[in-house]
Amino acid sequence: MNKPWLKHYEGHVPPSLTYPEVPIDRFLSNTVDRHPDHVAMSFNEVHFTYKALNERVNRFAHALLKLGVEKGDRIALLLVNSPTYVFAFFAVMKLGAVVVNLNVGIHGEELARCLNDSGAKAIVTLDLFAQGVYAVIKNTGVKTVILHSVFGLEKKMTLEQGVPQPLVFQDVVASAETAEEPAIRVLPREVAVLQYTSGSTGAPKAATLTHNNIVASVIQSETWVGISDAGNAAVLCVIPFFHVFGMSACLLISVLKGYRMVLVPRIDLMDILSLMETLKTYKPISFPAVPSLWAAILSLPPEVAREHLSSIRVATSGGAPLPRWAHERFAELTGRRIVEAYGLSEASSATHFTPYPRGGPLDSIGLPLPDTEAKIVDRETGNTECGAGEIGELVVKGPQIMQGYWNNEALTSAALRNGWLHTGDLARMDQDGFFYLVDRKDDLIISSGFNIYPGEIEEILRKHPKVRDAAAVGVPDRIKGQSIVAVIALKSGVEADKQELLKYCKDNMPDYRLPRAIILKEEIPRDPAGKILRRMLRQEALAL
Amino acid sequence: MKELLRELKIKIVEELQLKEVNPDQLGDDTPFFDRGLGLDSVDLLVLVALVDRDYGVQIFSRELGEKVFITISTLAEYIAKMRKAK
Repeated sequence: MNKPWLKHYEGHVPPSLTYPEVPIDRFLSNTVDRHPDHVAMSFNEVHFTYKALNERVNRFAHALLKLGVEKGDRIALLLVNSPTYVFAFFAVMKLGAVVVNLNVGIHGEELARCLNDSGAKAIVTLDLFAQGVYAVIKNTGVKTVILHSVFGLEKKMTLEQGVPQPLVFQDVVASAETAEEPAIRVLPREVAVLQYTSGSTGAPKAATLTHNNIVASVIQSETWVGISDAGNAAVLCVIPFFHVFGMSACLLISVLKGYRMVLVPRIDLMDILSLMETLKTYKPISFPAVPSLWAAILSLPPEVAREHLSSIRVATSGGAPLPRWAHERFAELTGRRIVEAYGLSEASSATHFTPYPRGGPLDSIGLPLPDTEAKIVDRETGNTECGAGEIGELVVKGPQIMQGYWNNEALTSAALRNGWLHTGDLARMDQDGFFYLVDRKDDLIISSGFNIYPGEIEEILRKHPKVRDAAAVGVPDRIKGQSIVAVIALKSGVEADKQELLKYCKDNMPDYRLPRAIILKEEIPRDPAGKILRRMLRQEALAL
Repeated sequence: MKELLRELKIKIVEELQLKEVNPDQLGDDTPFFDRGLGLDSVDLLVLVALVDRDYGVQIFSRELGEKVFITISTLAEYIAKMRKAK
């Protein structure tokens, strides 16, 4: 295969890499051997060294064994970035069980679907989210609930009969009799993580990622932005670990290299304010963020932004394209470039990066990573390769690509064809092998780095007693990339004002899915086959 | 204070592109979050940037943010207080 991108690799990046045949938790044990006293993570005023982290991980692993967790069992994590996430993630890895990574914003039917689809046997969460878990637990196969008690809320809960009593994380860890490494042989080809991602039909689907997939992905990314002699440097962990970008760029690269993870939990909105203080206190060398976060920080007065960003050597942006103005502002302020990463849950994290530290052409998602093949194919059949500059669907192949969608043959065979992952992104490649995103093949909306399918919003809107039909479209937003506009047709003879509908949305959807504007229409335009004519609606939304 | 409140409402609606919100009809005690304007954490950072850029007032800690970013009027009061102190 012709790989024009290889000639644009920086000198420190070889075209091919060697990947250790190890399970993910080997990253942790190797770092404990090399740097036991490096600070592994800082969370508010609490700090753990790698040695202390590993001891907690082992204790929790033994406690899970006592609770009956076995190799291959799925354990759901409904957690923000916190020490509990890190303990639970590595404990599950060491047992050869499978982490089910869940977005803390989901609840109700969606949460139940993820728990059922994965067959999760246990869930580890915070007392803050317990009410949401117990609201659906009866309809799932979850037998064990472990709550990290932050506010002691578990003591105030009234539980229905027949549901499992919650166990307090701190007590569970304390109940372990040993902090020895669990004696379980985990094979690198086994499944490590089920990564839930939005589905175009509104039904969630999970990318099945093996240890090999994730290890390869982390090695590729780390090699690309490789920083030598960074010691116990800090990495600012704002991107949630439940997202593949956070899992790879924040959690696993840090543990691989022995960096200090500075955890920003985002339990509530105000947590984001500590970000500015955290930047000043810890002077991180690496800050992976989504474009909306970069855009918000770069909207600060220049001298304030410069002061807070001065320590950052690796500034990464992923999840959606970073606006050109944000690239330019960052370069003006720091003299460095923000590295853009393109990836997806189905690829464990990244498949493309712009060159580090040089940067790539603005608006480009960069070059395929080592051992990653990428090409543009015709959007109708996916069988014919397009020439340089032609627009088609981006397809990728490499060691980081998932095994398939969990328990979903039909979706798997549609997405993975002859080893090529069909991304659903429309893109082009220039003569030098730089790739550029153009649009989506489907109607995915990307807002603040979250993938949102219109169906997820429409399904909820249609449940409103006054709504007959609904559609959702994305429109450009300077900070968030895209914001959501809901188009609603009311039932005949009823009246509803937009504020009432917005309030309903606020009560029934996670923040990142909230429409920013509503258009009321007599009818949602559809083609003869009943498909919503989104292009037409998008034009109307743009005119708002 | 009245003028500052009016100015803030216009700036907030413009900066956050709140298309369904008319600044003239926005109550002084409209909460920023939950069932008020329904803002998210990125919006909050945008507000922080706006207040710093246009009023020279920095709100970079959770403790302070919890007291100031409650309603438009609590934000206006804090800005007015900090301006006086300068």
